Amino acid sequence: MSKVGEEITAHFPEINTHRIDEKRVEVNTDKGYLLSLLNFLKDGGYDHLGLISCVDRMEDGVLQLVYVLSRYAQDESVPGPDPTLVVKIPLSREEPTIVSSMGVFINAEPYERELYEMFGIDFTGHPRLDPLFLERDYDIPPLRKDFDTRRYVTEEFETIPPVED
Amino acid sequence: MSEQKSSVLSSLEAVKYLFRKPKTIKYPFELKEPALRYRGFHLNDWDACTGCGNCEDICPNDAIEMVEVPDLEDRPAEGMTNRRPQINYGRCCFCGLCVDICPAGSLSLSRDYLHIHFNTDTFTFVPKDEKSAENKFLPEEEYSVLKANLNHRRQDYEGFSQDLDFSLFEPERVRMPQVPPEERKLSFIEQVVGYTKEEASREAARCMECGLCEDACPAGLNIVDYVGAIYEDDPDESLREIFEDNPLPAICGRICMKHCEEACSLGKQGEPVAIRWLKRWTADVIEDYKSSLELSPAEDKEKRVGIIGAGPSGLSLAYFLRLKGYGVTVFDSLPGPGGAVRIGPPKYRLPLEAVEKDAGYIASLGVKFRYLTRVGKDVSFTELRDNYDAVYMAVGNFDPLSTGIENADRAHLALDFLKRNKIGEGIDVGREIIVIGGGNVAMDAAREALRLQHIQYSDKDVMTKTVSLEDWDEMPATDEEVEEAKEEGIQFNPAWGPKKIELDEEGNVRGLLCTKVKSVFDEDGRFNPSFHEDREKLLEGDMVIEAIGQKPDFSFIPEETFQKLSFTERRKVKVDEDGMTTLPGVFAGGDIVNSNLDAVTAIADAKVASEGIDRYLFPSS
Amino acid sequence: MEILRQRDTGPTTRELELYFGPQHLGMVGNFSITLNVKGDRIVSAEANPGYLHRGFEKLMEERNWIQNFPLVCRVNVIEPGSMEMVYSMAVEDLAGIEVPERGEYIRCIYLELSRVASHLFGLWAYSKMLGFETVGGWAMYHRDLILDLFEELTGGRVYNIYIWPGGVRRDLPEGFIGRVKRTLHEIGGKVPDYNKTFFENRVFHERARGIGVVGKDEAKEMGGTGQVLRAAGQEYDIRKVDPYGVYDEVDWEVHTREEGDAYSRIMVIRDEMIESVHMVFKLLKDIPDGPAYNKVPNPFKWRIPEGETYVRLESSRGELGLYLLSDGGQRPYRAHFRTPSYPHGLTVLEKALDGESISDTGNIMISLYVTAPEIDR
Repeated sequence: MSKVGEEITAHFPEINTHRIDEKRVEVNTDKGYLLSLLNFLKDGGYDHLGLISCVDRMEDGVLQLVYVLSRYAQDESVPGPDPTLVVKIPLSREEPTIVSSMGVFINAEPYERELYEMFGIDFTGHPRLDPLFLERDYDIPPLRKDFDTRRYVTEEFETIPPVED
Repeated sequence: MSEQKSSVLSSLEAVKYLFRKPKTIKYPFELKEPALRYRGFHLNDWDACTGCGNCEDICPNDAIEMVEVPDLEDRPAEGMTNRRPQINYGRCCFCGLCVDICPAGSLSLSRDYLHIHFNTDTFTFVPKDEKSAENKFLPEEEYSVLKANLNHRRQDYEGFSQDLDFSLFEPERVRMPQVPPEERKLSFIEQVVGYTKEEASREAARCMECGLCEDACPAGLNIVDYVGAIYEDDPDESLREIFEDNPLPAICGRICMKHCEEACSLGKQGEPVAIRWLKRWTADVIEDYKSSLELSPAEDKEKRVGIIGAGPSGLSLAYFLRLKGYGVTVFDSLPGPGGAVRIGPPKYRLPLEAVEKDAGYIASLGVKFRYLTRVGKDVSFTELRDNYDAVYMAVGNFDPLSTGIENADRAHLALDFLKRNKIGEGIDVGREIIVIGGGNVAMDAAREALRLQHIQYSDKDVMTKTVSLEDWDEMPATDEEVEEAKEEGIQFNPAWGPKKIELDEEGNVRGLLCTKVKSVFDEDGRFNPSFHEDREKLLEGDMVIEAIGQKPDFSFIPEETFQKLSFTERRKVKVDEDGMTTLPGVFAGGDIVNSNLDAVTAIADAKVASEGIDRYLFPSS
Repeated sequence: MEILRQRDTGPTTRELELYFGPQHLGMVGNFSITLNVKGDRIVSAEANPGYLHRGFEKLMEERNWIQNFPLVCRVNVIEPGSMEMVYSMAVEDLAGIEVPERGEYIRCIYLELSRVASHLFGLWAYSKMLGFETVGGWAMYHRDLILDLFEELTGGRVYNIYIWPGGVRRDLPEGFIGRVKRTLHEIGGKVPDYNKTFFENRVFHERARGIGVVGKDEAKEMGGTGQVLRAAGQEYDIRKVDPYGVYDEVDWEVHTREEGDAYSRIMVIRDEMIESVHMVFKLLKDIPDGPAYNKVPNPFKWRIPEGETYVRLESSRGELGLYLLSDGGQRPYRAHFRTPSYPHGLTVLEKALDGESISDTGNIMISLYVTAPEIDR
């Protein structure tokens, strides 16, 4: 287990961490810990939120949020790069809500908007939770696994008449 | 650079370029030559293209569709179809994955990339190359960029082409461990060791799933599926797929003539997938077929079928019919199952255990076997026809041919030699053996004789040689057999015809007098050897084995019935599409029907006959 | 300046909503910004991406591991090489594929050339935006010389489709090293002219200095990476911090500036371009012999064991990451690109535009190197 992993477990005994390889540490927690964990990590030097992503694990009924954090202020005492943290939080697929992390990282804003649009996740406290990219309405958020792209394209675009010569 | 230097006038530095030659290319009066690897429009060598469809499958954009070209010949045995890729340039992204995955190496991309046309339908295009569409590829002086389109292209303009080191397929097969020639020639140890699980999986992973092999296989096995199941680590599934069409995997996994591998698209530039050995792996790794297959006969149909011959064809038919619910009895003069594969293939190629394993499973389904029962002697053919609702003749070619040369009666016949050695009382061999013949039976006899020599004369010099009418390039034996025989030290005398077996004063065989062959076939391509009568040589030897072929023996059929049996021009028993002969209720298959003379075609015949018998006995359903 | 500012913000000026883009001469790619302006001052800005959304991440879930490889480069037309690299790195990490040494060298040479090409493209956009048509023309011409090299190496000019899992797609063609050197000498020989006409030009200085300032802490807070961070004084480059390829085997420097304004960002780009050219020379000198590619499994059967990874590299615009997840199947279960322009264009840009003049919108946007296609994906 890595140093940062140990620090996390020391501070939050309920959170389990797992070293994937020398460059990555996985942190599994639930949504109640999100803000306190992010704040703790940010104070501990993990000052860069690289990405917020989501994986639709449809069979488990779970939307798994993934926060990727890294340390841009290098820790000189540790040789080699500090590991990237992959924080995973499962949300219920039926009612995916979680608190917005914009208060900790400002750049969470577009990521949360994107996930709201693509996966239908409600980030409470987000100031402008409206679609980021798309202009049409979808019955199922398009990046969810049960959204059938081919069927959508066929239904939506086959009806557009071809360009006349 | 210090900031003090910054000035609005420093831009004037650029003024000097006013007086220099411009770099801009005056297109279209001046053209820029694309790089040698440029990825432009497709070129396809139609002679090399097999139509395997790998390009269609890999294309990430569905831009490629295989279309049938009616003018082309479909040659499944060679793995050539009449399908060719058609490319929709409205979808193509010019990534070239199709080039990297083309096992035949026929696809490449040219350096042409201009298509000027008013009709967007012209985007869809079946590419050819300069060989097959000469008039579309123009020399420099006739080419005009203003007319450039898919049918107005440049000559010698190949761009991105395949490099086998960077291809998306693996041209080399996983090496099959084999007992080295010096070791194997000393005993009857099985030469091919067989793949380990890891090796089998790695070899199965090479399969590109194009299915050309399935079209080439006479019995139409689901090769893609059973090879795929090996890759997926599911030998049970693999066995189930094999048993759909072939109940003899342990036998065919060793001695099949592997028409499939001839067709395999990977064999076009590299080595075909080792389909036969993968089948063997499945058959070997599963101890008990029964528990893996979970097959049981259908409800009893209350009809009985008699099968003459427990060779591959008879065994397979017994299996297919038994599963359909027929009562099946198999008659054979030998003491056990296998027929030709029981006595023919030497033990180092096909151990008896493999034959027993396949046949044992078929027997376990409830097929009755009556061995040591010769139809025509122990039970009459007429009796069989009366007692059974249908009869299947799969008697094979067991009547050996002799050269008929002077003193030919002193020679051994290959089939007897092989049979006595494999399942009989054994045989004493000479120290210098001459085998007449250039086919696979001759190779079997020679290689078996060599082993017997090493066993019987362990500390002495021994020699086995073959003599054949055919020269190296015409020899009917497979290249593999010839190569392995050479490795073991067998001497070849191709293009020599036997003339006389020479005897010494005491009447013992002294050698074989041979004449040099001028040609084996006449101008019409018929077998009609001619000789240089003046060129003779004496091959020394104390034992001669004739292995020049066999013919069927129909003496078991009563004369008047035999009169009603029709034959084809090639002296094969004539059967209709149901496998039925001109005798009602008598079906036939195997070597007496087909010209391939191999196990898998015999199985294919059995499959046809099983459907035919079903239709014959239950016409309505 | 002071007088202007007072007049603009005077009480009589009405606040207007101004739509900037998606087609605008002063910006690269289809991207729009809604500006709330008072006079010619921007009160607040809101980025509107989506004009280039092609749904790559969903598409990737439908294609097998090899079929994805011609696709990923299309996420970003400016620098397709780093897209191919990040995908290959992720696949190699998940599948445990080793890349031969020579393959890594060729990758790095190709990536550094892409970086130069990308920066030249950025320089073209920036100088054209400021009205320096000549410099823009030079930059485009020099970029084209590099594209000629790419064409020779890979068969394509822009979508090279060259780095793939296991190494690179073809080895260097004969005589290629010499031609790379010749091209780089030609470009390098032009640096004094670039300096004179553009980088030392007062017009550039006046337009770029103090414009769009993003401080170090601010940049970090907002997820800024690459030049945005380095121009503000943070020496952070993934090639140094978390080396991939053979970046730890060559000797090179990270360039930084302190001010964090448009000027510093453009100057960092200039310095990096020169550094990359030097690096290519060093790599060309050390390139070992041997294979350039380790074959990947049969694409029709290739399954990657269950697992997930996040890999990152330093593209010409900052941290490019890929979160890739396999469920043990023949296709990615989920792929998510972390593109540098995403925070730069959606968070940093909005902040940097506050209080600036309308006429500097394109200036700031291009100096942040916002590339619309990689935001939308």
